Amino acid sequence: MSETVIRVGRSAPVLRSFADYLDGEQALVQRVELEIVETVRGPELVIRPPEAPEVRWPLDDIRVVPDQAGKDVLMLRLADDPVSRLLVSDEEARAIIRARCPNLHQRPPVKKRARLLAWSLGAVASVGLIIFVLVPLLSDRLAVFLPPEGEKALGDVTFEQIRTALSDNEFLPVAVCQGRSGDRALAVMQARLQGKLDLPYPVSLSVLDHKMVNAFTLPGGRVILFRGLIDAAETPDEVAAVLAHEVGHVVNRDPTRSALRSAGSIGVLGLLFGDFAGGTVVLFLLNRLIDATYSQDAEAAADAFAHQALADAGVPPSALATMFERLLEKGGDADGIVAHFQAHPKLGDRIRAARQADRLLEAPASPVLNDVQWKALQGICR
Amino acid sequence: MASVLETEYVGRRRPLFRLALVSSLLTVLTLGIYRFWMKTRLRRFYWSSIRPGGQPLEYVGEPMEKLLGFLIAVVFLAFYIGIVNLLLMFVSFSFFNTNLWAYALSFVGIVPIIFYARYRARRYILARTRWRGIRFGMDQGAWSYAWRALVHWLVTILSLGLLWPRMTFWLEKYRTDRTWFGSEKMQQGGRWQMLYRPYLVFLAGLVTVAIGGVVTFQGNVVAGGGLIVFGVLLTGYGLVHYRVHAFRLMTNTKNIGGIGFRSRPRPWRVLRVYSMGYGLAVLAIVALLTGLGVLFYMAILGGQPVGEDVDLTLIGDNVPWWVNTVFAMVTYFSLFILWGVLTHVLVTLPLARHYAETLEITAPAGLSGIKQRHRDDMEHAEGFAEALDVGAAI
Ligand SMILES: [Zn+2]
Repeated sequence: MSETVIRVGRSAPVLRSFADYLDGEQALVQRVELEIVETVRGPELVIRPPEAPEVRWPLDDIRVVPDQAGKDVLMLRLADDPVSRLLVSDEEARAIIRARCPNLHQRPPVKKRARLLAWSLGAVASVGLIIFVLVPLLSDRLAVFLPPEGEKALGDVTFEQIRTALSDNEFLPVAVCQGRSGDRALAVMQARLQGKLDLPYPVSLSVLDHKMVNAFTLPGGRVILFRGLIDAAETPDEVAAVLAHEVGHVVNRDPTRSALRSAGSIGVLGLLFGDFAGGTVVLFLLNRLIDATYSQDAEAAADAFAHQALADAGVPPSALATMFERLLEKGGDADGIVAHFQAHPKLGDRIRAARQADRLLEAPASPVLNDVQWKALQGICR
Repeated sequence: MASVLETEYVGRRRPLFRLALVSSLLTVLTLGIYRFWMKTRLRRFYWSSIRPGGQPLEYVGEPMEKLLGFLIAVVFLAFYIGIVNLLLMFVSFSFFNTNLWAYALSFVGIVPIIFYARYRARRYILARTRWRGIRFGMDQGAWSYAWRALVHWLVTILSLGLLWPRMTFWLEKYRTDRTWFGSEKMQQGGRWQMLYRPYLVFLAGLVTVAIGGVVTFQGNVVAGGGLIVFGVLLTGYGLVHYRVHAFRLMTNTKNIGGIGFRSRPRPWRVLRVYSMGYGLAVLAIVALLTGLGVLFYMAILGGQPVGEDVDLTLIGDNVPWWVNTVFAMVTYFSLFILWGVLTHVLVTLPLARHYAETLEITAPAGLSGIKQRHRDDMEHAEGFAEALDVGAAI
């Protein structure tokens, strides 16, 4: 080699040491001599194996292999050479190399950027397609074909889970209220509402002893009212209005759709998040989000059903509006992100719709329960 | 070259603790995306801790390729899992009125993919492992492996577990015979019957439990109960005994072009690592929970003593819901992170150290003839294993 070598006298520390060199071609560890020389191209590390030609690594291109456990060895590589390695254990040599190589910790550029982007989009698209299109479509179609016994079983399983989940005490599920005269009052209300409706299975109605102002429906015609809702109502018509709304969910088989739907989407979401901390929490929240957007359409349909059923039974549909207003007082309508986590958003629109539905009434309205029956219903949990 | 290469282990707890803690925090903060980086960095650490003949192993997998492989797996598996789960739920409730069948069936449906994913994960890991600058590698054959694994499991279950060693041997042989170090292929020697002796302790434990059950049933509750307790402990030890000795025997009968191995792990040592490690981790979790409980109590009740006048059931009522939520999330994540970090430091590292320090390479002269092998691109990386959460623990 005939090139100009500029030696920088005393200012730069002189490196003359030995190290282990792996050439990436044979399984041999070669004991090599190291030297840093100054060239016109810049400083270079000269690696001299005993029996092979010397190798030169420009100091700018030397990288350290990260996250190595042994601090007694510095493992070096050349930026664009994937296989050869230099293992320096001499302490002084390590210090000099650290001081003189400016880009030791520079990261390699990301390869296959385009493919990464393409598959990211592919993954997002396919998960979106499955969760928001395929799974809902399939569960809507299938829900109708599920035999009533199957739906009942599904509802029973969920009912017990909910009773346990709502309770403060894991071993003591929330009680089901069974006051004898209260039950009879409920039956009267139910009979008047159902009238000549054609249901896939009888509605089974229970009251849970819990302070929440809410009601919900499970697969198989199981409607659950909370004591808090009965406490909050000022007339029996308001309770009947909520009941009519829930029966609307039964007729549309909404809970069954939703159960099938979460069976599909929970699996997919689990796939995406893996076991990273809180996977379950994130899964729960996401599934809640998906469920809630679904519920907005279903709620509107259940409201429409309730308006007609109430009017047919001679109960003013505006009772539903009154009940919603009480809900509004209690919790307030939530907009934005929070709205998605509540199953009953946009109450304002629904109140207006219920008030307008009063014109569906054909005969003059009469209270759904008399005073004695209403007192009995209010005391059902006592 | 020395006639035997001993293995040095240089990984220490403190740097591993820092690495695991920082990377799991980042994983939580990035909603799980950093987990690909976390896994890569931990593997670099673990691999480089092991130095057979003084030369560290190197792990050269890249986080980005893991992410890509994972995305590819998601595209394929999302369809399968979403639609199949939904259909199974439907079928299960239509015909059996319960969801147990759905879970069972969906598990059966996923089992072949789990075996497939495991083989591919091992192939990926080997393809990204180097020693002395030479790549390891593994031939393709994941579906064939999945099929064999299914049959072996079936045979093992039908034989009531008596043929377990046979499965251990043949599946390991299948993987070993397809493993390469550079230009040299690995071979698994030995016979499956050699694994039977270490298996007997486990069997003896099961038999003791069964006898204890019979004795209890016949009315002698004290003697029967004693036998059952002893039998359960013996079974637990027997499992460790079997796994450690199976590893030893299988390793000692492997060779790569004349280069052999001598492994001498000790079951009691492994058992001690497990029991001490998990014991300490549980203690730390309890301590953390107690600490958080005190903190919450101080914050909510302002440190006033819990007496007759404080209604504990009302605690949830006078606190805004988001305080509860944030507190629950913080607790959950701290527990999760602490548990993960502690099991790395207290279980995985000591185990790796023990297995490494009891491993020797015999007849290493053969190393001089070994040449580099080509790079196995493996675009899918270990994506399927990643998505299904199976495969390597690290
Ligand atoms: Zn509703």
